[in-house]
Amino acid sequence: MALSFKALSLHGGASLDRNAGTRAGWWAWFLQRLTGVALVGYLFLHILVISTVQAGQDAFDSVLIVLQKPFFVVLDLFLIAAVVYHALNGVRVLLFDLGIGLKQQAGLFWVCMVLTTILTLVVGYFSLPLIFRN
Amino acid sequence: MRHMAAPLTDNRDTGVVGFWPWFYQRISGVLLIFLLVVHIWMGHFSGLRAVIDGRQEELVLYSIVQQRLAHGLFIFVDFSLLALVIYHGLNGMRNIFLEWPPAANRAKAMTLGLWVLGVVTFAYGAWALLAFIL
Repeated sequence: MALSFKALSLHGGASLDRNAGTRAGWWAWFLQRLTGVALVGYLFLHILVISTVQAGQDAFDSVLIVLQKPFFVVLDLFLIAAVVYHALNGVRVLLFDLGIGLKQQAGLFWVCMVLTTILTLVVGYFSLPLIFRN
Repeated sequence: MRHMAAPLTDNRDTGVVGFWPWFYQRISGVLLIFLLVVHIWMGHFSGLRAVIDGRQEELVLYSIVQQRLAHGLFIFVDFSLLALVIYHGLNGMRNIFLEWPPAANRAKAMTLGLWVLGVVTFAYGAWALLAFIL
C-alpha cells in the first residue's frame, strides 16, 4: 500500500495550513511529535527510577532525594510544559475528529501555546520554594 | 480496512494505522488527562505546604508512596496509568514509524515488537509498584 502524505494529517497537521495562511498547523503537528517522543523517553526513565525501590527503601529514598534537588525541579517544569502542550493539542485534534474547529485550527494552536505557557508559569511559581530552598 | 464510517474529517488516512488503534489512542489520551492530573497532584503538590513548612522532608519518599498505595483507589489509579500510558506512548511511536516506509512495509512485525516491549515494560513497572503494596 502506497504511503500517502495524508498520513501526516493524522494529528491535525499540515494540510489545513493553506486555509489559515500560516504554518501553525505544521508547528502543532511537529510539537505534538516532539513532545510525544520526549514523553515516551521520560516514561521509560521514570519507570526505571521508581523500580529502584526493588533494591530497598533506602536505595529508593536516596535516589529520590537527589531527583528533588532544585536542578531537577527546574527540569520538571519542562516536563510539565511538554505534558500540558501534548494534552491540550491532543484535545485540539480530538475536536477536529469530531468536526469542531477545523476552520479555527491555527487560532486553536495559539490557544494551546498560551495556555501551556500560563499553566507552566503557574506551576513554576508554586515550585519556587522548592527551587530556592536550602 | 475501515470497520466504521470514515471518522469525521475527510483528510484522514486511517487505512495504514487502522481504525481501532486510532480510536483507542483517543480514548487512552482522554483518560490519561484525568489520571495524570491526579498522579501529578498527589506526587508533587499535595505535600508541598508540608515540605515548605518543614513538616515533611521531601515530596516523594518511600513511606509517603507506600501510605498512598495502601488505598485501593491509588492502586487502581497507578496500574491504570501504567497500562494506558504505555499503550498511548507506544501506539504513538507506531503512528510515527508507519510514516516511514521501511517500518510501514513491515507493519505487522513492528506492531508485534511494540506489543512485546509494552507487555514487558508493564510487567517491569508492575513489579516495581508491588514493592510498595506487598
